[in-house]
Amino acid sequence: MTTATTADISSIELEIIYNALTAAAAEMDVTVWRTSRSTIVRELLDYSTAVFDRNGWNVAQAARIPSHLNSMTFFLTEILAKYIPADQWKPGDIVISNDPYCGGQHLPDIVAFMAVFHEGRRVGFVGTLCHHLDVGGISAGSYGSSATEIFQEGLRIPPVKIFEEGKLIEPIRAIILQNVRQPDILWGDLQSQFASLNVGAVSIQRQAKKLGAARFERALTQILDTSEAGMRAIISRIPDGTYEFADKIDDDGITDAPIEIKAKVIVAGDEITVDLNGCSRQNLGPSNATLASTCSGVFYALMATADAPVASNSGCYRPVKVIAPEGTCVNATAPAPVVHRIAISHRLATVLFGALHKAIPDRMPAAYYAVSYVVAFQTIDAQKRRKVLVEIEIGGCGALSYSDGTSAHSFGMHNNANIPIEMIESDMPLTFLGYGLLPDSGGAGRHRGGLGLWREWRIECEEAEVSTNLDRFKFPPFGLDGGKPGSLSTFSIVRDGKKQAFGSKVTNMRVRKGDVIRLETSGGGGFGDPRGRGRDALERDLQMGYVSPDTAKAVYGL
Amino acid sequence: MSASTTPPVRIAVDIGGTFTDLQIYDERTRSLVSLKTPTTPEDPSLGLLTGIKEAAAKGGFTLADVGYLLHGTTIATNAVLERKLARGALVTTARFEDVAEIGRHYRREVYALNPKAPPSLIPRDRRLGIKERTRSDGSIDIPVMAEALDALVAKLDALDVQAVAVCLINAYRNAENEQRIGEHLAKVRPRLAVSCSSALNGEIREFERTSTTILNALLMPVIDSYLGKLDRRMKEEGLKPHLFLVQSNGGVCSPEKAGQEPVRLLLSGPSGGSAACALLGKLLNEPNLVGVDMGGTSFDVSVVRDGKVNLVTQGEIDGLPVRLPMVEINTIGAGGGSIAKVRAGGRLTVGPESAGSRPGPACYGRGGTEPAVTDANIALARLDGEGFLGGGMRLDRDAATKAIATHVGGPLKLGVEAAAEGILAVTNASLGAAIRLSLFEKGLDPRDFVMVAFGGAAGLHAVAVADEVGIRRVVFPESASTLSAFGILHSNLTHDLVRSQLLQATSADLPQLAEMAKSLLAEGKARLDTDAVRPEDQVIELAADMRYKGQAFELTVTAPPPAKGKPPFDQTTLDALIEGFHALHEQRFSYANRGSPVEIVTLRASAIGKLAQPEPKTLQRFTQAPQPKTSRKIFLAGAWTDVPVWNRDDLGATPIIGPAVVEEAYTTVLLEAGWTCHRLATGHLIAERTA
Repeated sequence: MTTATTADISSIELEIIYNALTAAAAEMDVTVWRTSRSTIVRELLDYSTAVFDRNGWNVAQAARIPSHLNSMTFFLTEILAKYIPADQWKPGDIVISNDPYCGGQHLPDIVAFMAVFHEGRRVGFVGTLCHHLDVGGISAGSYGSSATEIFQEGLRIPPVKIFEEGKLIEPIRAIILQNVRQPDILWGDLQSQFASLNVGAVSIQRQAKKLGAARFERALTQILDTSEAGMRAIISRIPDGTYEFADKIDDDGITDAPIEIKAKVIVAGDEITVDLNGCSRQNLGPSNATLASTCSGVFYALMATADAPVASNSGCYRPVKVIAPEGTCVNATAPAPVVHRIAISHRLATVLFGALHKAIPDRMPAAYYAVSYVVAFQTIDAQKRRKVLVEIEIGGCGALSYSDGTSAHSFGMHNNANIPIEMIESDMPLTFLGYGLLPDSGGAGRHRGGLGLWREWRIECEEAEVSTNLDRFKFPPFGLDGGKPGSLSTFSIVRDGKKQAFGSKVTNMRVRKGDVIRLETSGGGGFGDPRGRGRDALERDLQMGYVSPDTAKAVYGL
Repeated sequence: MSASTTPPVRIAVDIGGTFTDLQIYDERTRSLVSLKTPTTPEDPSLGLLTGIKEAAAKGGFTLADVGYLLHGTTIATNAVLERKLARGALVTTARFEDVAEIGRHYRREVYALNPKAPPSLIPRDRRLGIKERTRSDGSIDIPVMAEALDALVAKLDALDVQAVAVCLINAYRNAENEQRIGEHLAKVRPRLAVSCSSALNGEIREFERTSTTILNALLMPVIDSYLGKLDRRMKEEGLKPHLFLVQSNGGVCSPEKAGQEPVRLLLSGPSGGSAACALLGKLLNEPNLVGVDMGGTSFDVSVVRDGKVNLVTQGEIDGLPVRLPMVEINTIGAGGGSIAKVRAGGRLTVGPESAGSRPGPACYGRGGTEPAVTDANIALARLDGEGFLGGGMRLDRDAATKAIATHVGGPLKLGVEAAAEGILAVTNASLGAAIRLSLFEKGLDPRDFVMVAFGGAAGLHAVAVADEVGIRRVVFPESASTLSAFGILHSNLTHDLVRSQLLQATSADLPQLAEMAKSLLAEGKARLDTDAVRPEDQVIELAADMRYKGQAFELTVTAPPPAKGKPPFDQTTLDALIEGFHALHEQRFSYANRGSPVEIVTLRASAIGKLAQPEPKTLQRFTQAPQPKTSRKIFLAGAWTDVPVWNRDDLGATPIIGPAVVEEAYTTVLLEAGWTCHRLATGHLIAERTA
């Protein structure tokens, strides 16, 4: 149709193309949602789909998980630079990998990429990342919190073609399925990833055909430039200065030492530097982030800070510089274990909000729970059938200068749903004893932090094991401007009527029939002096049981 | 309900927020009349009766002649959106009271710092746990005890509620505990509206079931009160029709059923529009249509495939899931009032913010200063500023031009025409994307579809959007402004029945499937008998919700009708369902796993009672005018062009050639170059791509 031209594409046409690419990512998203097999993908929605330019830079995203979406560029560009150069990708090839040390995050996240061709020319890539139920390793769900090397955490797949020109490479599939706990489910989820890539590729090809390859590529470049310009405009509205903030993670699951997450944010004109020199050294246990994880945390936090809509893609990264020295917990080096990397990026995001609060005090939220509460089960029934369940829970959102934090709602780096209780009970020997909001867990303030939640499971089979990757047991979500912190989190087991509390990281704990496991998550931090809270709002808190009469009296001064 | 005993006039009504639309068919004269009357929001039955009396005067019939009143309404939808719901309580399994508030806890806006959860329609102090438990296999762990019931009633009394939703964990497997509560409340508090989840929506996933049940319970008193008023008014006027209400699935149901399950009315209004599309498809011999309804704030897409309106098993309202069969309508926030803005980095976006009708687009002259889509159309003279709403409203072209120049042209360094064209291009592209996504989800290709365009703003965009997605034929229906009522007039009675139980699609589970099918068919027949449908007018279709083992979402596969003398569900039926499932999965998701185990989660029956269909009317005046009524300069494809302007009523069977404008009282059709347009004897306009 249209012939190639070097002339700039109008901002109007650009918007149209961008919307079409976002629609392609959305089509891919629906495909995964509708066809996947594991509860972690199809119910918990722990997956993302995105579109990339011909050099591997993210251009359009589906509305899923910020942590995935803003690290996939690292993965793809690393694959192209070090493993499979762009000219070795053929139509119908699909490359997969889960290697954290190749731009990934942790082993359960397997990403699949496909190049998109138009008239023999590579015009872009599509990618789908799914958090898989289990990829082997020391614990069910691949969530051991006591690993000291990545080799203990599961199967590590280097970038490799699992499809060559549309043909499945059977040995690769066989190697993967031999090494995981629930091969049928993993393969089902992978198939949904492959299907979504095919769907996305067709959609991209339609655009390329409409515009011609050269013009299409130029459009993608301009979309990224536009996002960069938007991001620069946003940053330039933040007062120049150096803003510091810090928070602590409980421990790494091996030692008791707290992990310091400290950021220095330097705003200068339309650029931002995030200096992470103050962060702890890399840990022995798996509370470590690769550089890709860390950058996704920084990018998410700054994109969320935007005071005007900007197309979310890798163009937004350009005015941002991240200084994360090798060998720290924000830039771990192989073979450090990394499965709990999200604790680092979650905490980093909330620390950046805290730092930016000093620059733009009316816009930033107090701390949210800032950890993914992972509780992984393996049940073994009387017939010795094993089943894996990975639960990821959430807590309360931080209050803002203008609003209470939302209770029990996914915030920050992840964006997952819960798994329906009935879905779990129908599939596994587990019974739920309750699921609810935690009164008084929201940090007190003129605006109150959102409430955390509790969830209780009872074991119904003779044998089972539990592993956790939790946090906020020692350092609660901070408040801002005189707001109080949210509650601490807890994890406990009641056996034979006796309750025992545990720390935030447990590996392969054996539990048995009748044991009741209870998780309590943190509420968000409060904003402003609690004594300044409106009486109507406080009355309503009391009426709803969000705040107890004792707290109303002691903290709010009712 | 034979024609001999039922009076001859059939009235279809669609009560919307602003207008009540009626279509009236008289079997004696085979005449079809349509009219509009203002809605009376405080008591919509008042406006309805006014409309019927007007129609009787116009059509020459008496109120006693009305045999059927088929009633579509947005009353339920508006009650939810405006929170004019009953004061209600929720009864849950103890320690699960907050499931309704926590919901599924993911956010829609990924980068929002202040994400909002969907609203809790029943606040925490009115959510009451009761000691009871059903296990996942359906066995009862803890039965509901008498003391617990007494305590519950005391709490409900203290809360002073009108409605109670009951949703217990695992009630989808065994309704016993919910029934116990429901029956007890019916006995001791007969005036309470009570809705039990197992009776309404016996499917797995506690939050979605709870949400559906809450909406239902809170709507029961609202709809009950409306139906009571309507009944009284009809009696006063001597009107005694068979009354049926239009459900979200496009079928109609009795007022008793609507009163019990009013949540089924949430898409009552739009489903009439989809039904009309299906009907047009039949008249035009087109099995595949995509209906686009564009008004001031939104663009609604629905799909008719193989002659049937596409349904989904779950939708949502205001972010709250509603898990019942409903017409699949995908909505995006793009309409005539959608506002164009230049964003960071020079991005031009249109919507979802809308100027609404107050202040409205800048050209309305009601104080709006930001440019809306209608402003772009008026600036390019695609819309006539004098003839808007049949000349009832003058549009201010200068105000439109100024708004575009200030807010779009200036920032982008574009002239007004280029800026206005840009606004329309961005709009049409997102409308096209919405259509593509609607069809994509079913693995369908837009090029195989005909577009039906209706709603005040669709005419100016339809042809361009059709080009955008590759559709080559667009229908602009006659009486588009009362199209929903037109669809409703042709509805059939429909009862949707389900049996949910996880079974394997294998011979081993065939006896259970056959048993379920048998009971569904018997229940369907009983319901239709109750509605007085003659056996020859009864049709019962079976379908199964199927998935690969391990998947969570099902595809609904229609079962073939049984061969004569064969049982309704046998091995042949099962084999056909399995193959149908593989084929559908492949079509929708690009792959099938033939040989992998397939599960059947739900067996469905649609029990349809066919109502006699009005015959299509033909126009009384159908001669083509030799000339367009006028011509005017409009801006098209980068230049001002002199374009003929036709009156819709002056078109006939000879195609006119684009570019052209076709005007009627409430809408304007823009025919671009490369398209022709002609009119059928039935009044519908057909635009076709020639090149």
